[in-house]
Amino acid sequence: MFDLFINMVKEEWRVHSTMFGSLSFALFPVMIFGIAFMGSFLIPLMRKTLPAGNLALIVHANYLMLGIMVGGFGLLGNEVMNRRFGQASLLAYSARSLPLSEKFIFSNFVVKDTVYYFFLWVLPFGFGYILASPFTGVSLAATLLLLLTLTLSFLFGLCGVFFLSAVYARSRPVLWLILLAIGMGVGGLATMSGTNPVLFFPPLLLNSAFTWTNLFISCAVLALLFGVAIVLFNPESVGSEKTYRNSFAPLLRRFSFLPNPPFATKDTLDLYRSGSLVGQTIFSFLLPLGVIWFFLALLGPFFPPHGLLFIFAITTGVIASTMYTWITMFDTFGPYACLPVAVSTLIGSKLTTFAILQVLPATFIAAVATLSGEVTYLVPAVVLGISVSFYAVSVMAWLCGLSPNVLVYDVKVLFVYLVLVGIVLVVFTSVAFADPYFALLSVILVIPTWLLVRKAKARWDAVDPAGF
Amino acid sequence: MTTIIEARDLSKTYGDVQALSHVTLSVEKGALFGLLGPNGSGKTTMIKMLTGQTRPTVGSATVLGVDVIRDPVGVRGLVGIIPEQETPPSFLTAIEYLEFVAAVRKITDIEKKADWWFDFLDFADKKNVLCKDLSRGTRQKLMFTQAFIHEPELALIDEPLINFDPIMQDLVKDYLAGYVKKGKTIFISTHILEVAEEICSGFAILHKGTLLHTGPVTGLTARGEHLPSFFLSLVRKDRHV
Repeated sequence: MFDLFINMVKEEWRVHSTMFGSLSFALFPVMIFGIAFMGSFLIPLMRKTLPAGNLALIVHANYLMLGIMVGGFGLLGNEVMNRRFGQASLLAYSARSLPLSEKFIFSNFVVKDTVYYFFLWVLPFGFGYILASPFTGVSLAATLLLLLTLTLSFLFGLCGVFFLSAVYARSRPVLWLILLAIGMGVGGLATMSGTNPVLFFPPLLLNSAFTWTNLFISCAVLALLFGVAIVLFNPESVGSEKTYRNSFAPLLRRFSFLPNPPFATKDTLDLYRSGSLVGQTIFSFLLPLGVIWFFLALLGPFFPPHGLLFIFAITTGVIASTMYTWITMFDTFGPYACLPVAVSTLIGSKLTTFAILQVLPATFIAAVATLSGEVTYLVPAVVLGISVSFYAVSVMAWLCGLSPNVLVYDVKVLFVYLVLVGIVLVVFTSVAFADPYFALLSVILVIPTWLLVRKAKARWDAVDPAGF
Repeated sequence: MTTIIEARDLSKTYGDVQALSHVTLSVEKGALFGLLGPNGSGKTTMIKMLTGQTRPTVGSATVLGVDVIRDPVGVRGLVGIIPEQETPPSFLTAIEYLEFVAAVRKITDIEKKADWWFDFLDFADKKNVLCKDLSRGTRQKLMFTQAFIHEPELALIDEPLINFDPIMQDLVKDYLAGYVKKGKTIFISTHILEVAEEICSGFAILHKGTLLHTGPVTGLTARGEHLPSFFLSLVRKDRHV
């Protein structure tokens, strides 16, 4: 067990580090540490406007989100091996050549992901906070407790998505039943207690008042989610052949108004047949945004009037921009290398598919605006969210080309991404807070978006396409 | 004779690794040319450079008169390519993949052409199966089909027979021989020497990225030599050097 685990960790490291050098990748946790360390010094300032409990809430929400995103990207039931690893030959395939069962390998894969991303993301953040504690007046015990509860938050996200995706791979109706039951449970809890149900999130409860019982409950729930998910895991039976009626030609005709219709057609079939359209929409879009909505709702009093809607629209925009990773995760440039296709053509076609997918965030923001009684601001909120999404994806395309899933871990890439997107977020948050209708000014982002896409195409045409 | 491939002083380095070193060679129209060499000798790198998939560090090349560095997409539009490892996209069926290729290459009458290939390579029963669920051999048939379905003037194939059973190997060898008889050109990379000797008209031997020899197969047979023994003696001698 341990040998396989160690080698999987090495393999994961090499997949990342070979793309942009070991040093750049090794610096990634250092940067997370730096952000946490320096950010800790802002805590005394932030406390003047935000109570400490709400700060903890934000940080826990972020780590729950992180777990959901990692889980959502990597663990989507039946398609996990193909989608995660494409055509690369990795240890996850070793069941074919070694006397190891698929379930055993998959268990190792999950444990590896947990440990790997813990060291990559969670520990550096907690460590930065701990080291800064002597200067920020926060007790060491509180920082250690935070590290524990952040870890639990991350694992809740990871295990939760892993559990739901394992159920999804077995039976979609059962998944919907479970989601319905969770929704009803959360709703019931809110009605009975009269408070936001997020406050009953076990790691948050533990953080506000440590008890061994709470810790035990958190760990037991996590173990249950992990255990059930691994038991339910059902590798697609080797040798089975899925057949489909020819849908390419009819879809191609339907997409003939788009630039590069064959690629849009292929992407659509990829998303639909892999289960990714439904799976990613639930696990990497709706679920994180649902969680964010609950957490943001608690912060409403600290925002200007209508501020919550616009913060949510911007957040939706940033998360919607990650849809670019959904459509680039299926193929490297390799399968196209035998065709008269340039990398810039593929980037353009992926952005076309991305543009079609923006119907989802637009609808989502519109629904939130309507349901929250702020239908007056529906148009500016949708414009802001979609403008941010297109701008963020153009930054991603410029920095990462067709490999955003991998290059995001290059510290230089992540730093530039955070700066370029962060500046825009701060500017347009302030603009929307000043006057909700000023959010319409975000259409100006079309200019940098267009320039960045042009630069992305020129940049990635000039380098040899990357593969594993 | 018309020169179809002209490579001049081609070199490629990946970091500290010299994959190809100052290779100069030309291939004439109508040839079935074999690029031979042991594993890691630079054959795949050579094919990648000739098809504009990777840029040479030094040197230049033209394929069908098109500069591979200036217009890599133009080159790939004119030729057919079977890469060594790449497989068709996972979530398209076999027929959909061919329709995708046809849409990209602007090939007309694709259904009729695809049906001919499904029958010829005996995989019509797999036309509606997802590519990810096809066996290696069937994927190779599909990749073979996509390379030839537009009847290119030149096809570049990395290890053409590697996943085929003996019956299919025989069929494909016959097809390649017939294809060059129609005046088309084929450039194959292989380390199966017996196959190269059987079907190739000209050959080049690469070892550790360096071109050791290039010439016609008939030149060897006229001297009573066989390609496998010639290859082995040349490569072994180079190893000692």
